[in-house]
Amino acid sequence: MTTIYPTIAEAIAKSATTAKAPLTPNPTDHVLSRLAFGPTAAARAEIAERGIPAWIAAQIAAGHTYAGYAGDTLVSTQATLLGTSPADAHTFLKLRGNSYGWDLMTQLTQVTLGLQVWSSAQLYEVLVDFFANHLNVVCPRADLWVTRHTFDRDVIRKHALGSFTDMLVASARNAAMLLYLNLAQSSKAAVNENYARELLELHTVGLVYSESDVKNTAKLLTGRTVDSRTLDYTYNPAIHGTGAVRVLGFRHPNSSTADGEAGGDALLRYLAAHPATATRLAHKLCIRLVSDHPSDALVGAVAKAYTGSGTQILPMLDTILRSTEFWASRGQKVRRPAENIVATLRILDTRPATITAALKYLQVMTQQVGNVPLAWDPPNGYPDVAAAWRSASTLLTLWLHHLALSADSWPNAFAKSNKATLYGGTPANSGDAIARLGVRLTGAPLPVAHVQALQTFLGEAATTPVAKSTLHGLLPSLIALILDGPSHAMR
Amino acid sequence: MRCGEQNPAGLTRRRFLAGVGALGVSVVGSQVVTTRVAYGAPASNPNTVIVIFLRGGADGLRILSPHSADLGVNYLRIARPALVPNNAIALDGTGGWALHPAMAPLHQVLWSTGEMTFVPASSNKGVTRSHFQAQQFVEQGGSSSVSTGWLDRVLARLGPGTTFRGLADGFALPMSMAGNQPKISMSSLATFDFPGAGASRGPAMTALGTLYRGFDGPLSSDVPEALSAVATAEVIRSLTTVQNAAVYPDGPTAAALKDLVAILRAEVGLQVATLDVSSWDTHTSEALGLDALLANTAQALAAFFTDLGPARRSRVTVIVQSEFGRRVAMNASGGTDHGHGGLVWLLGGGLIGNKVHGTWVPLASDADLDGGDVQGLNDVFNVLGEVVTKRLGVGSLSTVFPGLSYAPLGVARAG
Repeated sequence: MTTIYPTIAEAIAKSATTAKAPLTPNPTDHVLSRLAFGPTAAARAEIAERGIPAWIAAQIAAGHTYAGYAGDTLVSTQATLLGTSPADAHTFLKLRGNSYGWDLMTQLTQVTLGLQVWSSAQLYEVLVDFFANHLNVVCPRADLWVTRHTFDRDVIRKHALGSFTDMLVASARNAAMLLYLNLAQSSKAAVNENYARELLELHTVGLVYSESDVKNTAKLLTGRTVDSRTLDYTYNPAIHGTGAVRVLGFRHPNSSTADGEAGGDALLRYLAAHPATATRLAHKLCIRLVSDHPSDALVGAVAKAYTGSGTQILPMLDTILRSTEFWASRGQKVRRPAENIVATLRILDTRPATITAALKYLQVMTQQVGNVPLAWDPPNGYPDVAAAWRSASTLLTLWLHHLALSADSWPNAFAKSNKATLYGGTPANSGDAIARLGVRLTGAPLPVAHVQALQTFLGEAATTPVAKSTLHGLLPSLIALILDGPSHAMR
Repeated sequence: MRCGEQNPAGLTRRRFLAGVGALGVSVVGSQVVTTRVAYGAPASNPNTVIVIFLRGGADGLRILSPHSADLGVNYLRIARPALVPNNAIALDGTGGWALHPAMAPLHQVLWSTGEMTFVPASSNKGVTRSHFQAQQFVEQGGSSSVSTGWLDRVLARLGPGTTFRGLADGFALPMSMAGNQPKISMSSLATFDFPGAGASRGPAMTALGTLYRGFDGPLSSDVPEALSAVATAEVIRSLTTVQNAAVYPDGPTAAALKDLVAILRAEVGLQVATLDVSSWDTHTSEALGLDALLANTAQALAAFFTDLGPARRSRVTVIVQSEFGRRVAMNASGGTDHGHGGLVWLLGGGLIGNKVHGTWVPLASDADLDGGDVQGLNDVFNVLGEVVTKRLGVGSLSTVFPGLSYAPLGVARAG
């Protein structure tokens, strides 16, 4: 039974904050694993000082302050091309002697990853990731070489804290989306239905549409295309097909070509505000933030917040955070592969040695688990439930990365650090070292059975003094093992 | 990404691994079959069924075309003038069917030996023109009341087996494999290894196994399965040398099939495997996009069967399917939009080959179509069901395809 309280503070106070074994209740790490890409020592300290509700409010403010790519000063230095228009980007590439280079798309991918790890506006990055996945436009793809970044900048990042209607309307006026789903090639003489179908099925109402709705939507949206000179979105009335349309409960006379773009926008607004869209978006957001099987009651409440606020995104989030279901859901999600890698860097407080190399390695690591941000090819976006990500290969590769990061295997990319500082003091002995690492890396004491297994791994008694311990050689492996375990694999 | 393949960041997987290798690499035991303790002996059925899913809705009509007036080629020349293949390979004895020339390598290896056959106009009335609904429906086996995939339920029917009895190639589990039957998901054999240093590697694996004991959730079974597969993978890796002068093309499909040959050669009890090939959603410039993809896929499969050799491939049946076929008429972008009836290819052992199976209504007018699409006259579940019944001996299909009135088309033989 989900109860929604008036405030986040009250929900935390009244909730039995529970966790699915072997995780233990820990509201701080819970919120840092759901509204951020994992805990860092600094974020834990900030919450300890200010409390969770104030931290969330500060995160929303940070999202406004550090909109776009400003969330981390070092990462933002690598976003040199992401502010350009398609035409300027093309000019830049021509001057570089590689007119069709993928520089912008590579930069977008790497900056996205860098911000997930290091941005101080974590909540914003979580929402950006969610909506980029919801309105998926694959990156990279050859024909999006100078437009893909504009989708991220002008559609997703611009509206991630605003209204979904605005985001949807912007997406239907973006060259990258139009090229990706072939609306750019659609015209009254040659209607292409690809975008229309996915707009209905994936972006908005879901499988409640008919084939006639697809055809009518496709017709009303003809004229939206890409200008061959600016390489940017344009509305071309000459290729707009007129004639009355009917899509679900929406009617439009569509009587003039001059009116075609406004007619399309009206349909987009109708679809964004549709109750079926509210339910689908609410369900997806709950799957991201709460559990793979959120209750109907919570989804209903979140959908109501969306509809009641005129399709605003933050009221959905606020409703989730005021629910008992959210605070009782620790351990109910398995981190997706890329999320696991990002969380590993965060929990280890890994800093870049060289930012360019660090971003490149982040891309490589996520590539090796098939989960590079933005790189999902079909329009439905990466799956977001554990059942879809079950993979022995991925587990082995994640374990490889845990070990590589804890052993400082990439000193050119990531700054070496003294991993013994993770003890947070001087351990009394081998057993104390394991206990301290467990708390530091998973946010809570490890279960007794886990402590015993790790002690066996070290091959020595818990009372062994650190000076005589195998930890001297095995500390990186011990850290990796804790991160390999379920307390880090789940959130 | 596969071993040795260059990624945009300029690093190969092998080089990446080399960095961690500084910690040392140890050799594991040589146990060939890692049988799950809770299960009995490896399955006695020696056959393997591999399901290759062409994601995006492959245009079956361009791959296997009606090539005679009787079957409807004249209608196609009007409806899709640029998409009727030139130099198609006539399939003798089929009454006028022909293969796209890109299928030549596969045709050369398999047709004359009766190891290749097709079912056009295949679908199911529950399949819509939505990619995602259609894939889910087909892969769940047409049941809306279960959340598992049809191949997971095949594994359940088959009972005990080895760690490698079910294998999904790729990074994510396909819907057809969803469920709790033990199986291995592998993106590359070359990198399927437990990281770490010599002396501590074994103890680390032991410790990790312990950390995942005693709680609910997919990881509590996936972790022990991954750990138990590591030693077997080591042995399989020693069998990757290409045989019979097979020549693989570049690309992920060929790399995955090459891995599969090694796994089959290792005889580790593989019963069911899946492999995805993406990018068949040809809304624009289909002749360009589909033909290149088809050529790569056909070459990769031809190399796979050549590499396997005649004896072993008599025990391996490959099903190639997609979520739906495409619209018969070409659109103005030189592509085709989502359609209905699609094409199933059947390759390898145990087939009633040299035939095009099922019902086909000759195309003469729009009236022969289902809203512009090839009709779904041949139930795809009957095709899948027949293959697993006859090749794997699943017995009853009632749990695999709930509600199916099983009526085999005669595509395969038992044994």
